[in-house]
Amino acid sequence: MKKLVLVRRDTPTRGGQPAAFLAGLVFALLVGALLLLVTGDPVFDVYQRMWERSLGSTDTWSSTFNRAVPLALAGLAVSIAATMGLWNIGAEGQILFGATAATLVGRLFPDAPGPVLIILMLLAAAIGGALWALGPGLARAEIGVSEIITTLMLTEVAIRLITYLEQGPWKDPDGFGFPNVTARPEQAELGDLWDRTHIGVLIALAVIGGFGWFLNRSVWGYELRIAGSSAKTATYAGISMRRKVLGVMLLSGAVAGFAGGIELTGTAVRLNTQISNGYGFAGIIVAALALMRPSGVPFVALAFGAVQVGGQSIQTSLGVSPAVATILQALILFGAIGAAVFSNYRVQAVERQVVTA
Amino acid sequence: MILGVAFTEEAVIGLLVAAVQFATLLYLAALGETISEKAGVLNLGVEGMMATGAAVGFIAGVETGSPWLGLIAGSAAGMVLSMLHAFTSVGLGADQVVSGLALTFLGLGFADFIGDGYTDDERRARFADVEIPGLDDIPYVGEILFRHSPVTYLAVISGIAAWFILNRTAAGLGLRAVGETASTADAAGHSVLRLRFVAVGVGGAFAGASGAYLTTYLVGSWSQNLTAGRGWIAVALVIFGAWRPGRVAIGALLFGFTLALKSRLVIFEIDFSPRLLDMAPYLLTIVVLVLISYRARNRPSPAPAAIGIPYRREER
Repeated sequence: MKKLVLVRRDTPTRGGQPAAFLAGLVFALLVGALLLLVTGDPVFDVYQRMWERSLGSTDTWSSTFNRAVPLALAGLAVSIAATMGLWNIGAEGQILFGATAATLVGRLFPDAPGPVLIILMLLAAAIGGALWALGPGLARAEIGVSEIITTLMLTEVAIRLITYLEQGPWKDPDGFGFPNVTARPEQAELGDLWDRTHIGVLIALAVIGGFGWFLNRSVWGYELRIAGSSAKTATYAGISMRRKVLGVMLLSGAVAGFAGGIELTGTAVRLNTQISNGYGFAGIIVAALALMRPSGVPFVALAFGAVQVGGQSIQTSLGVSPAVATILQALILFGAIGAAVFSNYRVQAVERQVVTA
Repeated sequence: MILGVAFTEEAVIGLLVAAVQFATLLYLAALGETISEKAGVLNLGVEGMMATGAAVGFIAGVETGSPWLGLIAGSAAGMVLSMLHAFTSVGLGADQVVSGLALTFLGLGFADFIGDGYTDDERRARFADVEIPGLDDIPYVGEILFRHSPVTYLAVISGIAAWFILNRTAAGLGLRAVGETASTADAAGHSVLRLRFVAVGVGGAFAGASGAYLTTYLVGSWSQNLTAGRGWIAVALVIFGAWRPGRVAIGALLFGFTLALKSRLVIFEIDFSPRLLDMAPYLLTIVVLVLISYRARNRPSPAPAAIGIPYRREER
């Protein structure tokens, strides 16, 4: 009798990750099609519409690019944490609190000139994000509390904080009684590069490039790479693991918070709990598919931006639940991590061994 | 009236009853996760399995008219989802954290997808409270502990059964061995993969049941984001409970009380923003985790040693 086992390859296959991503995409589209068939939705129309409204024409690229910006920044935030083996699952909360901090600046200086105000708001967003990661970072660095749980819990807290602000202290007096935060000052809006694609695209690329450069060229980045690959070596080399863990969490939070600031000045007009739209969570998928490497993040983010934008369009035009997009993203991740195993392993049929003691 | 707060006897009892109801929700999910982690598999998909269990449980309940069928269907849905995690993380050896998170996204998305048409459904398939004869007449205690949905009693029985199986049977010993050092367990003749698949599946079934309990009893209806991060509290409870069914139960009661307190504010006529108190369970989770870790910082961790480590016999 034979059975299948996974046998480690001597060298991983080249191009395994892009191949795994494609495999995940195909897997997702097939399972998604199955789901749509079950509910009686027109599979071909749904996928065609998703393609048309995301990458199908130059008009729609703006939406996809703008959507890729927060996804890429969130993905970068998660992959920064991963350099130290940390899981920043709460990027969502940091994005929300970053946007909250930026809103606070907007409320304090409503008449400041646009460029000044935007810079202040983005700075505040980064600081806010870092603050939201401070507690989990300290708890992890000092006493080893799982950052997975703490960052996640703070996301729930951030959501409720914004809901509180909407209904109470920051409620829009001109909002006809609706719970809405007052809109940010009009002049605090990022300009457009082309069509509706805003400057945030350039800023995000600069942040990602800057981080890559920093990681490869600075002493801090060098130490980080050592600490990330071996805690023992790092301790021997006199690098404080505690300070590195805390530093990485703060940086990760700052990048996520910054994404919240970009959203507020780029596409959103006011603070609300929807401003993050699940970017923090999708950022985890983006980072995982990019193998936690900043260089891969923009490409995966673009693909995800397309899936999300396409997913929204099928609700308005075809009445299909936008949750299809969430399902597709999860399935891509499942398919890709499953397929990625095969770049390191191959399947072999072997004779079943009779166990002898 | 104490300090302007209406602490009537009725209100206090109502609060404690609600605490047990919320504790049931958390305990089901946390107990399942405990079993999975005992076998060495961290499953961060609890929130997603719970959401899917809630949606499937509600739909099956109202379509068949039976909350029992809702509970069973929700539980089965949780188990089916968990098998995806078992396949990628146990079968293929992919990263457990990534695979579990993928499961959460999938579960939340799937719940929204199938629950779409049931958001404002007026139909109900709700468990009725069952009074335990003889015990429900005890003053106060009877009212608080012995007049609940059948699911609460099932949760208690499950907890005792889980403790017994884990600690007093050969299968339980094998399961724990697999979670501590898989290679030794393998050498001793236990099938590592089979035990881990079973443990993940049981965990999924419990998470699904927890979700179904939300829609067939606690809330009684389906809406988006119904689980509201409570699946994550359940994951935290496993750490709080040091991977022991009994201590997890104590944690569930504590957190259940916090969730109940928020839902009862109106009755106590406390003038405090419910939005801010809404944050309490999540902040409490953090504070408790920090305190526990601080107290245990010089002791060996009670976590199963093999959590997160895939096992491949060929690479032993």
